[in-house]
Amino acid sequence: MNLVDFISIASYLGAALAVGISSVGAGIGEGFIAANATRALMRQPKASDSLLRTMLIGQAITETGAIFSLVVAMLLLFGGMRDSNGGWQMVASLFAAGLVMGVGCVGTGLGIGYTGGQACKGIGRQPREAKLLTANMLIGQALSETSAVFALVVSILLLYSTSAGNSIAKSFAFLGAALSMGLGTFGPGLGIGVVAGKAIEAISKFPKQSPLLTRTMFVGAAVAESTSIYSLVVAFLLIFVS
Amino acid sequence: MSEIIRAAALLGAGLCMGMGALGPGLGEGFTAGKACEAISRSPENAGLITRTMLVGQAVSESTGIYSLVIALLLIFAV
Repeated sequence: MNLVDFISIASYLGAALAVGISSVGAGIGEGFIAANATRALMRQPKASDSLLRTMLIGQAITETGAIFSLVVAMLLLFGGMRDSNGGWQMVASLFAAGLVMGVGCVGTGLGIGYTGGQACKGIGRQPREAKLLTANMLIGQALSETSAVFALVVSILLLYSTSAGNSIAKSFAFLGAALSMGLGTFGPGLGIGVVAGKAIEAISKFPKQSPLLTRTMFVGAAVAESTSIYSLVVAFLLIFVS
Repeated sequence: MSEIIRAAALLGAGLCMGMGALGPGLGEGFTAGKACEAISRSPENAGLITRTMLVGQAVSESTGIYSLVIALLLIFAV
């Protein structure tokens, strides 16, 4: 086997890991939303229109992480990334691009799913506040999604990094960048999902307090986001500086 | 040999920051979620609850900052 074979192996493995691992979070999250929507339907059959709408919007946003992974996997398989001039650094960077996208979407998928599930549960409790709850669900899900977008940025950078060299240190730096950003999205993604879900649950119980609760949700989510930004900084340093 | 040591340090930096971000992110999110729940029950104490939430999150953040420091040391000092 020569080096070109190893580059192919790395890109195939990366594509498989990207789609395979990211599907775990998206699948569980979407299932949680659907389960809560069905239970809410049992309590409030008349709210079926707004429940179906909120469920589908929430599931579509949960799906985005898996779609990012699909795009990265397609790029790895058919994007012409496998340069025959590439060295061992290219083996590492292609595998790392798949790894970061796959691992990076698990936490956000679970978090976004939790938020959407709580929104459906809240509509079952207060069908009249469906619009307010859906709006807060979208804000919370967007906050949680940022971590997956960071993972996508790092993945695209790894895909297009010029990697003709054979340095062992640089190859491991690429793998380190993928681990830093991939694992680093797990906590913030899930944590922000919990913040937004609890805020929506509270709004559905006390709709009058919604401005105060949305503000607290923003502050809490911003603090939880900080570790994801540290991970992004370390990944950038590993890709560009080391 | 020195390049293998450097490679291990860089991989370690990534692992350190990645796993180090896991706990604080989850914990801070859980804190803020409970704070939202508490504010909805007693909105008149919102200021006090937000202050306690931020203090708790700051303590929870510390391990994330330790990970950042160790990752930067592994990248630049080793």
